Amino acid sequence: MEVYDYPHFNLQAAICLFTDVKNGPEIRKRIIEAATCQGEEGEALRDAVNFAFVDARLITSILHLQTAVFYALLTQSQGCLRTKTVHSEILWALNPSNNISEAIRRYGISDSTTSLLVIEISVLPSHHDKIKAIVDGTVSPFPRLSEITDWATIKKYHKLNGELAIQHLRDVATAHAMIDEIVVSTVATKSVSQ
Amino acid sequence: MATASLIADSTQIAQGAEAVSDPPSRNTTRKVYKAYIHTSFDSDAKVPILLKHRFKKQYRHPSLDANLTRARVAGEARALLRCLRSGVSVPGIRMVDATEGVLGVEWIEGKSVRMLLGGGAEGEEEQVSDSEEFFDDTTDAGGESVSHVDPLDEYQVTIDEIMGLIGSEIAKMHKADIIHGDLTTSNMIIRHPFAAKGPSPTKLVLIDFGLAYTSTLVEDKAVDLYVLERAFASTHPDSEPMLFAVLEAYKKGMYKDWTTVERRLQDVRLRGRKRSMVG
Ligand SMILES: Nc1ncnc2c1ncn2[C@@H]1O[C@H](COP(=O)(O)OP(=O)(O)O)[C@@H](O)[C@H]1O
Ligand SMILES: [Mg+2]
Repeated sequence: MEVYDYPHFNLQAAICLFTDVKNGPEIRKRIIEAATCQGEEGEALRDAVNFAFVDARLITSILHLQTAVFYALLTQSQGCLRTKTVHSEILWALNPSNNISEAIRRYGISDSTTSLLVIEISVLPSHHDKIKAIVDGTVSPFPRLSEITDWATIKKYHKLNGELAIQHLRDVATAHAMIDEIVVSTVATKSVSQ
Repeated sequence: MATASLIADSTQIAQGAEAVSDPPSRNTTRKVYKAYIHTSFDSDAKVPILLKHRFKKQYRHPSLDANLTRARVAGEARALLRCLRSGVSVPGIRMVDATEGVLGVEWIEGKSVRMLLGGGAEGEEEQVSDSEEFFDDTTDAGGESVSHVDPLDEYQVTIDEIMGLIGSEIAKMHKADIIHGDLTTSNMIIRHPFAAKGPSPTKLVLIDFGLAYTSTLVEDKAVDLYVLERAFASTHPDSEPMLFAVLEAYKKGMYKDWTTVERRLQDVRLRGRKRSMVG
């Protein structure tokens, strides 16, 4: 887990990587319940899952996720959120197309999720305990991400197969660095993509 | 405004307080800064980015100007992304705030080709085409340090290699139908060998896509090359062999598309000469 400071937004972002996640379906159920439940009870449920849950398989680097976080913070500060919350905006930023439900289906938690990145945007220092209370998994250092990334699916979603930048690269590490750069840059340009 | 306060906290990297004025075709002013956007509470590792801020000196038509700035920033970002996807060596993109006229890109630690070729430090500079160069092109943070090492040695690169890289990167760009619009030796950075990223990093990075656009026209590609020729000729003495090496590499990269561009480039040169005789 690492916490980043965004003083120009007066906000912080805590990012936590979990591996060996055992309760993906349960978390998903809780998110749906929180979204549909009304009143005070609903508030409490929502508060308990007030994070962005991102399937780690589709993340190429921490910079990739940070870039989406920055996008969401910037969009929120301009009053231009395309989704309901700054947390869902992170998922929106990660998806190359402009389809909200697709973004959540692809980048959000699914029943097959076993590696999870949880992000909390908050004014005050984040409560690690709250995040850990909801995810049944192992907190892991960020470099573990390189074992989790699903490059083939990322290439498909970003339509990178056959793209010139990747074609000539024989070395796998170089190709991954290149894909990461394109993916990060795609997230960064989300607000001006046609 | 969050982006405005980010800029206020950043270090301007232009030498001198004055921003570079655009040629009339650009009609905006821009300043560049070194900034940090993700600071960790838990580690000291900080990765800088370059912020390029475009703004108007005078707002005559605020909403019109804002739209124009927005379009410029969006255009530069899109051109960079297109280059990245086409395998052209350019900085990665880190943030875009088109409303505020700000583009944030990967910080390239290095020196411009202009500086490496001894193209003059501040003050003793000539004007390059119609873009003004008041910058100290050194992008390293210190900037001031006087070193007696030949910069080419320090950068572990030869002039021939640089020319080859220039030609092959421009060819990749033109094959993807991207026209740079301001090809000068100031708009090319050679990465410092210690700042090389990845297992086989590209040494030469093309920057400044503020005037870039997409076009399939041979004319546009030929003019792009002609702008580079003029920039070389006015900044670097004895530029002919260097240009020859650039075009050799470009030719190799363009492969069968070369002959049509070559023919058109000759036309463009001729037109240029006529114009300078008249004007
Ligand atoms: N990605 C970068 N990394 C480091 N320095 C850069 C980068 N991009 C530009 N610079 C520096 O900033 C200067 C101006 O940037 P540029 O994009 O060329 O804007 P302008 O339109 O003002 O010429 C460059 O000459 C270079 O010294
Ligand atoms: Mg420039």
